[in-house]
Amino acid sequence: MKLNLILFLLLIVFALLKINAHHLYRVNHHSLEIEKQKTIELKDERNQLLIEESSKSGNGRISEYAKNKLKMNPPEKKQKKLIK
Amino acid sequence: MRSKIKKKNEFFELSKFRRRFTLLVLLTLFCILFSRAFFLQGMQKDFLQQEGFERSNRNIELYAYRGKIYDRNNQILAASETVRSITLEPNRVDFKKGEKKKLANLLGMKLNTLNKKIKTKKNHIYLKRKVDPKIASKILALKIPGVGSEKDYRRSYPDQEISAHVVGFSGSDGNGLEGVELKKNDYLSGTQGYKKILIDARRRVVDNLSEVNVPIDGKDVHLTIDKRLQHVAFQSLKKTIHESEAISGSAILIDSKTGEILTMVNYPSFNPNHRIRKRTFVRNRVITDMFEPGSTMKPISIAAALEKKVVNVNTKIDTGNGFYKVGRTLVTDTKPHGIISVKEILQTSSNIGVTKIAEKLNKKDLWQTYTNFGIGSFTGVNFPGESKGVLRDHKKWRERDHYSASYGYAVSTTIAQLARAYTPFANKGEIKNLRLFKNDPIKIGQRVLSIETSKTILKMMESVTKEGGTAIQASIPGYKVAGKTGTARQVVPGGGYGKPGERKYNASFVGIAPASNPKFIMAILIEDPTKGSNYGGVVAGPIFKKVVSEALKIYSIPQDDIEIFNKVEVDNQEEI
Repeated sequence: MKLNLILFLLLIVFALLKINAHHLYRVNHHSLEIEKQKTIELKDERNQLLIEESSKSGNGRISEYAKNKLKMNPPEKKQKKLIK
Repeated sequence: MRSKIKKKNEFFELSKFRRRFTLLVLLTLFCILFSRAFFLQGMQKDFLQQEGFERSNRNIELYAYRGKIYDRNNQILAASETVRSITLEPNRVDFKKGEKKKLANLLGMKLNTLNKKIKTKKNHIYLKRKVDPKIASKILALKIPGVGSEKDYRRSYPDQEISAHVVGFSGSDGNGLEGVELKKNDYLSGTQGYKKILIDARRRVVDNLSEVNVPIDGKDVHLTIDKRLQHVAFQSLKKTIHESEAISGSAILIDSKTGEILTMVNYPSFNPNHRIRKRTFVRNRVITDMFEPGSTMKPISIAAALEKKVVNVNTKIDTGNGFYKVGRTLVTDTKPHGIISVKEILQTSSNIGVTKIAEKLNKKDLWQTYTNFGIGSFTGVNFPGESKGVLRDHKKWRERDHYSASYGYAVSTTIAQLARAYTPFANKGEIKNLRLFKNDPIKIGQRVLSIETSKTILKMMESVTKEGGTAIQASIPGYKVAGKTGTARQVVPGGGYGKPGERKYNASFVGIAPASNPKFIMAILIEDPTKGSNYGGVVAGPIFKKVVSEALKIYSIPQDDIEIFNKVEVDNQEEI
């Protein structure tokens, strides 16, 4: 009778532990999913930055900036000096 | 009489009627419960399971990133960027005053169009796909019930119209429609993945219900294109087309030793980031459009004659007064050259001189040389829509084709074929196939010319860019440049070249630099320049000079002779 009672209690305890483990698994799985989502978002952001870097470092944009904003121009023939 | 006092158990004992009534009620309740359970679990099992399944299970598609396209220096030419698609649930939507107009403005659509979309009977529609994330966040900030957004991807081309013809573009479904995007679609695409997940009441993902099918990202493609030179070539071409009021222009720069394409540009171009409405200038004309190359074929014809030893560099040929009749065809020069050497024939681009040289060759030998130089065959670039050009079999040549082919008529080539046809002059007689993809194996060049002849032709072509030549505009201070100009009449619809005065011309130039140790070959074609000169040297020569000068600088190619630099460039310069 006593043994049966102990086994019954153990059954209850293990059942509760199983439910708890399952709950913890789901919580952790959810956290993992969030991290995976963050990874994808970071990957997207990296792609975005690469594209931005590529378009902003484009020769066309640089020469436009040099000409219009920095007022840079290639020297004319008279301005060139040859050092021998 | 004393009343009978009930004992405790007698007191609580129900009457027979009550007992039966209670039993009946309990039985009825049990029957109701049992039948309900039977109804739910037996008769409505599938429906309810389906409902439960739909509420807690989701099939998620896992996005496979489309590969990026890089230039030879790992600069991005095409990549996928994140955008949002604006969704609408017409059943849930509820606009407050003014919100509808704001939404229409942000979406860039008319209010009527938005109203039509809202009135649809569907449960879920896309108001607009591939919206800029900044605009999407403004839309979501309106917090209109029923209006949401989904993540989506869009192809972005940072080089815009400069490399548009090479890279091409992809459709809204992400599949390539033109250029490298089309050619390498399978390689770039990758395979989408998916997974089945379990979500809880708070819509949190709590478990995977089946094995996750991991997405396989597309592979990156590395091109041989140099973005820096691509920009220079495009800008030079654009400037020339505007200045000469030409219809269009194309240019290709290759590494003469490897056949790698460094630039491939066309103007007018298109911006692949925008929706392509007109497809007029979408094709990559460098490899799709054929034209009669004109005088740029002369070095090949002379090479054939030198190989067959029917002439040598110093052989004198009488070009007369600039008019020469062969059968019924009148061959003319721009001015009388009199008796000139083979070298001078190339330098002055004499049609009569080359015709007289071709007379010494039989049709088959001439045709064989053109075939060996890759005229009428693919360049190996492996690009969609490539044209083979036209080189009819010598047996089908009419008598005049024999002569006109020698100065670039009766044959058609693409500008890419023309660039390849000059590789034997730069590689001691070996022709190199063109390469656009870095990963393609380098093929060994095929010998089509003796080392001696190739060197001789190269030396002769140097005179073209010197004083007295037709392309002095292509000379680069400090470097020896070899090249050949071409100014060919365009064929008019219906055949022929049109009446004098109404004729259209193609101005072309193919150059090799430095001629002392060739590294670059550039071929340029300007279609119908109408303002100023229409000569290849004048129109296309400056483009060669600009682009190849930049290439020589970027690739640190040592100068041939500083004296030349001093003489040509430093005329007005002060010495210190």
